[in-house]
Amino acid sequence: MGFFQNLADRFYLNFIADERWHYVTDGLKATLIITFFALIIGVVLGFLLALIRSTYDRTGKKFLKWESIGDFLLWILNIFAKVYLTIIRGTPVVVQLLIIYFVIFGSVNIEKVVVAVLAFGLNSAAYVAEIFRSGIMSIDIGQTEAGRSLGFNYWQTMWYIILPQAFKNVLPTLGNEFIVLLKETSVSGYIALQDLTKGGDIIRSRTYDAFFPLIAVAIIYLVMVMIFTKLVSMLERRLQQSER
Amino acid sequence: MSDSVKPLIKAVGVQKSFGNLDVLKGIDLDIYKGDVVVIIGPSGSGKSTFLRCLNLLEEPTGGQIIFEGTDITGKKVNIDKHRQKMGMVFQHFNLFPHMTILKNMTIGPIKLKGMSKEEAEEKAMKLLERVGLADRADAYPSQLSGGQKQRIAIVRALCMEPEVLLFDEPTSALDPEMVGEVLQVMKDLAKENMTMVVVTHEMGFAKEVANRVIFIDEGIIQEENEPKEFFEHPKNERLKGFLSKVL
Repeated sequence: MGFFQNLADRFYLNFIADERWHYVTDGLKATLIITFFALIIGVVLGFLLALIRSTYDRTGKKFLKWESIGDFLLWILNIFAKVYLTIIRGTPVVVQLLIIYFVIFGSVNIEKVVVAVLAFGLNSAAYVAEIFRSGIMSIDIGQTEAGRSLGFNYWQTMWYIILPQAFKNVLPTLGNEFIVLLKETSVSGYIALQDLTKGGDIIRSRTYDAFFPLIAVAIIYLVMVMIFTKLVSMLERRLQQSER
Repeated sequence: MSDSVKPLIKAVGVQKSFGNLDVLKGIDLDIYKGDVVVIIGPSGSGKSTFLRCLNLLEEPTGGQIIFEGTDITGKKVNIDKHRQKMGMVFQHFNLFPHMTILKNMTIGPIKLKGMSKEEAEEKAMKLLERVGLADRADAYPSQLSGGQKQRIAIVRALCMEPEVLLFDEPTSALDPEMVGEVLQVMKDLAKENMTMVVVTHEMGFAKEVANRVIFIDEGIIQEENEPKEFFEHPKNERLKGFLSKVL
C-alpha cells in the first residue's frame, strides 16, 4: 500500500467518515462567533475605559469644567477602571472563563457561547483599553490646546482631533490584540464548548489520529490570522496616506 | 487714550501658581480694540503663562480675566464660547496633522459656527490667498515648511473671526530665514486693526508694530510704555539689564 493511499485513507477516516468534518466547520463557526462578538465588547468597553483613564490622567480638572459631582464621578469611574484592569490583566483568561461559567453563571442555564463571548470580551477590553489609552496619551498636548483654543470643548477636541490621530497610531497594536483574541478563544474547550480547537480534539479522540485533525486546525487558525493581518495592513496604508 | 471705551480684555490681579511656584504675582492689564500689545521678558518670567491665562489654557489661581465685560474665570461661564473669539497661535504651530490645510482651517467654522462647507472653504481660500498659500490648500501640514505652517496657523485662527489674536512666541521655533514671512503676516494684520497680544523675542517687531510694550519679570509687569519710550528710555533697572542683553 502506497504512502499516498495511506494519507488518503487517514484523511477519509478523520474528516469524511461519519461526517466528522462537521466538528471542524461547526467548531470554526463557534470560534468566529465568539471572536466577533468578543471583539465588539472588547473595543467598545476598552474604548470607554481608555476615555475614562486618559481623561482623568491627562486633564484632571484642567480642561473640564465639571460641576463637583462630575469630578467625583470621574474619580469613581477611574478607580473602577483601574481595579478592573488590574484584576483582568493579573489573572489568566482560562481562569476568568471558568469563573464566569462555573461561579457567576454556575446555577443558571446559559449558552456556553454567550459565556465565552463575555469572558473573552471582558478580557480583551482590558488590553484594548491600555492600547487606546497609550494612543491618546501619545498625542502631543499642543493638539488639545489648539483644539480648545479654537473653541472646541473637551469631547469635541477628543472626537475630531485626538482620537483620529490616536487610532492611526495604535492600529498595528490593536490588530495584534485581535489576533491574540482569536487564538485565545481556543481555550473555550475548558467549559466543554466545541470551538475549532475542541472540534479537532474530538476527532483525534475518535480516530486516534492526532496528526490530521490538529494540523488542519492549526492551518485554519493560520489562514484566518494571515487574512486578518492583511486587512489590518490595508487599513493602515489607507490611513497613512495623509502623512507622506 | 481710550479711557471712555471699555477694554476688550481686562486682566485684574492675575495670579498663577504651579504648586509652590508663584509664576504670576498679580498682573493688571487692559487691552483695547485695535491694540497691538507686545509682551517681552526673560525666559521663565511668566509672560507665556500670562498669555495662556487670557484664554484660560492656564487657569489663573487668582484674579480675573474680563473679556467683553464677562469675567471668564467664573465657574458658570462657557469658556468654549469665549475662546471662539480669542484666536491663538502657538510656538509649535499645532496644526492638525491628519487634516489637509483647508480642513484645518474650516473645521472650526463648520463645527462650531454652523457655517456651510462651501462658505467656510470660500473664506478659507481668500485667507490662503492673502498669505500666498492658496496652492497648498490640499496639502497636509507635514508637507509644509515651518514658516508656511505658522502662516497657516494664523489664518486658521482668523477663520473663526476672532476679536483678538494671542501669539505665543510665534517665531521662536522657526529657522531664521522664515521669521520674516510670519512677521509680515502679523504686520499686515496690525495694519488692519486686528487686536493682538504677542509674546515674542522679536524686538524689531515690538518697536515697529506695537502700540504698547510690556516687560514682565518675576511674575509682575515691571514696565509698560509705548515702544519709543520703552526702548529708548527704559526706567526699570531689570528692563535696562534685559535690553542691554538682547539689543
